[in-house]
Amino acid sequence: MRVYFLCFLLFAVGLYCILRKRNLIKIIIGTIICEYAVNLFLILIAYRMEGRAPIYSSGQNIENMVDPLPQALVLTSIVIGLAVTALLVALAIRIYDKYKTFDITKINQLKG
Amino acid sequence: MNKKERNLQKSSGMSLIVKTITRLTVGLILLYGIYIVLHGHISPGGGFAGGVIIALSFIHLMLAFGKEEALRRFSKEYMAFFEGLGASLFLAIAVLGFFAGYFFLDFFVNKGTPFKLFSAGIIPLSNVAIGIKVSSGLFAIFVFLVLLRIIGRDKE
Repeated sequence: MRVYFLCFLLFAVGLYCILRKRNLIKIIIGTIICEYAVNLFLILIAYRMEGRAPIYSSGQNIENMVDPLPQALVLTSIVIGLAVTALLVALAIRIYDKYKTFDITKINQLKG
Repeated sequence: MNKKERNLQKSSGMSLIVKTITRLTVGLILLYGIYIVLHGHISPGGGFAGGVIIALSFIHLMLAFGKEEALRRFSKEYMAFFEGLGASLFLAIAVLGFFAGYFFLDFFVNKGTPFKLFSAGIIPLSNVAIGIKVSSGLFAIFVFLVLLRIIGRDKE
């Protein structure tokens, strides 16, 4: 139970970073922290005590393995997170080219 | 600033130490990525993880030698070609299942003996296709993020 709470705490750190920071790069880092907290939560749900990695190798019985399904889900989630991060960084670069700043309080023109 | 320092700044890339170490390690990183892709069906890893490691070797080259040297070895046309090749190879492997009388992505011509390198039917072939796609795609993302900034700087 405690690990789920710590996981939520990590998510809260990311959310604080998104909501309170003014630098665009720090906001992007906050979204990455949120994303990894969710991934960690999904992996921890599938964990069972003293379980082995779900890899079928020769000479081993299939017993006491952790659940492999959330791990496959999280692998897909990591790939999507990579694409989202690349999109955010590209947008941040374009905003920096236009406004010459990463401070979101100074980005206040709708056009021009 | 003497002449030597100016030459060092003018030539693209990092210092001599970084370039020498990169020359030693970049081939090993590339080989390790290929190993991870080829052994994806019998050990942890697979197409995505190995493709990321292969792309990291190209990014390593670009960070150490500057973008001209990296783009000379792996140009934008190659990137577009290999990205399309990876996607269409995966689709071709998947569609092969119809011709063999099975379903989509269900073409097991030769299962082989388990836990050997040549086993598990189409899974290693799919891993190779995904590895090609991911490595060229990730390196393309990095290159275009860098080029985008330089184009924006030239405009002003």
